[in-house]
Amino acid sequence: MELEHRKQDGVLVVKIMNNRLDAQGADDFRNRMSELISGGNRCISLNMSGVDFIDSSGLGAMVSVLKLMGQDGDIVISGPKESAMRMFKLTRMNKVFRIFDKEEDAVLALSTR
Amino acid sequence: MKKIKMSKRALQDFQASVFYHIKYSTGKAFAAASKRDQYKAVALAVRERLIDAMLTTNERYKKQDAKRLYYVSMEFLMGRALGNNLYNLGMVELASEALGAMGIDLEEIRAGELDAALGNGGLGRLAACFLDSLATLGMPGYGYGINYEFGIFKQEIENGFQKERPDHWHSQDNPWLIERSDRACIVPVYGRIENLPDRSGKDNPMWMDWKMLIGVPHDVPIVGFGGQTVNYLRLFSARSSDEFDIRIFNEGDYLSAVEQKMSSETISKVLYPSDSVASGKELRLVQEYFLVACAVRDVVRRYLESHETLHAFPEKVAIQLNDTHPALTVAEFMRTLIDEHDLDWHSAWQITQATLGYTNHTLLPEALERWPVSLLETVLPRHLQIIYEINRRFLENVSKRWPGDPDRLQRMSIIEEGDTKQVRMAHLAIVGSHSVNGVAAMHSELVKTSLVPDFYRLWPHKFNNKTNGVTQRRWLLKSNPELSALITETIGDAWITDLGKLRGLEKYAGDAAFQKKFLDIKKRNKERLARDILGTARVQADPDSLFDVLIKRIHEYKRQLLGVLHIIHQYRCVVEDGLELTAPKTYLFAGKAAPGYVMAKLIIKLICSVAEVINKDEQVKGRMKVVFVPDYRVSLAETIIPAADLSEQISTAGMEASGTGNMKLAMNGALTIGTLDGANVEILEEVGEDNMFVFGLSIEDVKILRNGGGYDPWAYYHQNSNIKRVMNALASDMFCPDDPGLFKPIYDSILTHGDYYLHLADFQSYLEAQEKASQQYVDRSGWANKAILNVARAGKFSSDRTIAQYAEDIWNIQPVL
Repeated sequence: MELEHRKQDGVLVVKIMNNRLDAQGADDFRNRMSELISGGNRCISLNMSGVDFIDSSGLGAMVSVLKLMGQDGDIVISGPKESAMRMFKLTRMNKVFRIFDKEEDAVLALSTR
Repeated sequence: MKKIKMSKRALQDFQASVFYHIKYSTGKAFAAASKRDQYKAVALAVRERLIDAMLTTNERYKKQDAKRLYYVSMEFLMGRALGNNLYNLGMVELASEALGAMGIDLEEIRAGELDAALGNGGLGRLAACFLDSLATLGMPGYGYGINYEFGIFKQEIENGFQKERPDHWHSQDNPWLIERSDRACIVPVYGRIENLPDRSGKDNPMWMDWKMLIGVPHDVPIVGFGGQTVNYLRLFSARSSDEFDIRIFNEGDYLSAVEQKMSSETISKVLYPSDSVASGKELRLVQEYFLVACAVRDVVRRYLESHETLHAFPEKVAIQLNDTHPALTVAEFMRTLIDEHDLDWHSAWQITQATLGYTNHTLLPEALERWPVSLLETVLPRHLQIIYEINRRFLENVSKRWPGDPDRLQRMSIIEEGDTKQVRMAHLAIVGSHSVNGVAAMHSELVKTSLVPDFYRLWPHKFNNKTNGVTQRRWLLKSNPELSALITETIGDAWITDLGKLRGLEKYAGDAAFQKKFLDIKKRNKERLARDILGTARVQADPDSLFDVLIKRIHEYKRQLLGVLHIIHQYRCVVEDGLELTAPKTYLFAGKAAPGYVMAKLIIKLICSVAEVINKDEQVKGRMKVVFVPDYRVSLAETIIPAADLSEQISTAGMEASGTGNMKLAMNGALTIGTLDGANVEILEEVGEDNMFVFGLSIEDVKILRNGGGYDPWAYYHQNSNIKRVMNALASDMFCPDDPGLFKPIYDSILTHGDYYLHLADFQSYLEAQEKASQQYVDRSGWANKAILNVARAGKFSSDRTIAQYAEDIWNIQPVL
């Protein structure tokens, strides 16, 4: 699982570089994100604009990451494609995560938190 | 009748299409094409014309933003398509001539077409007739079903026993199916619920760890008569999602991955035979949900293509649930609206109820679906939550209406308490729909008064009747072309789309010349059938004998056994009493028994054994023949029905919802011998008591006999010498000399186990009705008169009338012409 990340306005901006977040990459994604959270990142914007497909393993990994953030952290999603958005709605994850169309809006929301 | 003009150009165009498809669709030179190749090429040539009209039809609907109806059914018993499509397109003559000039025999390739047997019986055939009527009426109505790889099994008879063989009807290689991979649906299943608060801190049940199925639609064009409207039947195949398998593939376990793929595709593998459905099979539940999920997703998607929000959904969409099999639509639609489209519960519930209608098809308690809560929790955890919430709110309303009435709450609850908690699918369907209908006047009354009286008291406005009907295009125009031609020659062709016009035949019922033509046609139909059954059942039937026909699914309540008991009685009268039969008779049976239904299968064996004894007994002098015609299916029905003289509709009163075979047979000039059950009651109203042979207990009589506990089959046995003789013959091994005791379970079911279906109570009355029929049959002119009146008065039983009533009272859809 390839993730690109950078800091912007106190927010860790992570971009998923693979076009799939599925059973094959879910564990790796969870581990990589866990490392980033353990490294002290409490505000994360996850850019999913490159993800064409996400399955229930990928969704499960995202929920695990959310739980790792705990009460004092925050993670938001930006740019999901319609196919991913459909999956969020199917599971009702869209009610848990804040989701933004654009990355800058996601970062802004977190930086002004 | 509207026909495609048989110009030289039209002939040549059609020939060119057929040539093209032989070459490019089958990949063969014309001379090398097999009959199957020829069939495929002709079907594809016809399909081109259907697709043209289907596209224009869709444009018409879109332009008018017409309200559409989706008929969701686990079964569509379509039968053969080629002949039907040609008739409805008005292309029979053109195709016959065009193909004849190419050396292709249209009749031969029509006869070689496999039936699309995606149904068990009446319920599935009704759905097929409805699609024909919707298209003929120019209404936007679509069927939604499953593209089973194996339809209902093929029946073979070996030594008198039913053997089941798989029915591979070319679900993937069928010229009528148009695959729509671009419209594939995602269907999640299994998994668990994880409660994680939403952003405002409220409970938020999330459906996690599901498996994914893919539903790939295949469209079968459905052309209405005249060819102006072409709708479609959308059948979904289950495919495995590549994504679903990828981890196992990558772990190198190729076989596991393939097995998992196969298990996903198993979902649409096989149609469950009826009577084995209600046994809590997980795969059947997944099938039902698969259909519902694909249908809801597809319907909502289409609606949102041209509408911004879902609030006006019921103004543009109606969904009809054909029996409880698709009742999960209630929960799936609610889930879709709430979870995927963010509607609040109240709005979602209003839309759901206003959109859905439910048709009840049975009063038999064992056929009313119930699913264990534990199974639903495993397969559909989110849906179970929704069902619980629907039930909670529903019972709250019941409590308000009837405070302090816990028994009523228990009776009406969607969840049945007990050792195994179960979800009552009929209750779910009733609560979630704005309309609940039965399928014949009497049946609809019983739904209100016996099946769910509490619901009727709560919502009397929801309950209504829609008496079933059948399409005269298939069941008269196509299956009985000679009679159709005679009718058209006599009163014109308006009856093809307005069956009430058959009334015009009444004045010819007594006309000697018309009677002669009518009887000659019946005779030729009987000769044709006699040739067929000589080939399939190896019995020589006399076309001058009375063809007494009992064709339907084999079930104890339908009482094929009563028919057999009567035959045994006749036989004993001939051989023991030296009786000369009033009329020579050929008793024709056909029908399938569910593979696990032991008693039904034994009844088939009994019919075959009785046939074997009687058919070879010289004392009978050939005046009685008994035939079990194997593998009953739509195309076989189309051959038997036009040849029938007497239509047996002899179920125990109160047990047959409607019946539609009774309508098809009356429409083709068979006189009904029947109980006052289902639509027989309405046939009697239409054709008159002089033209039908009614016998047996009424529903009230049945109730009294059963509930009063006073029914004693032994009393009938002792008091009626005919019954005693028949039962003794059954017990004597006369019909199973090589296998003594074979039929003891049948004997026991009647005399030892209480004769639940009341054969003996109706026996004498049935005998008398049979004798009356025989006496009237020998008066050929009198019989012809009655038979013609049956045809003339069958107008009510067109599915065009049924559909017009559904459209007006339930669906609120209009013709879009």
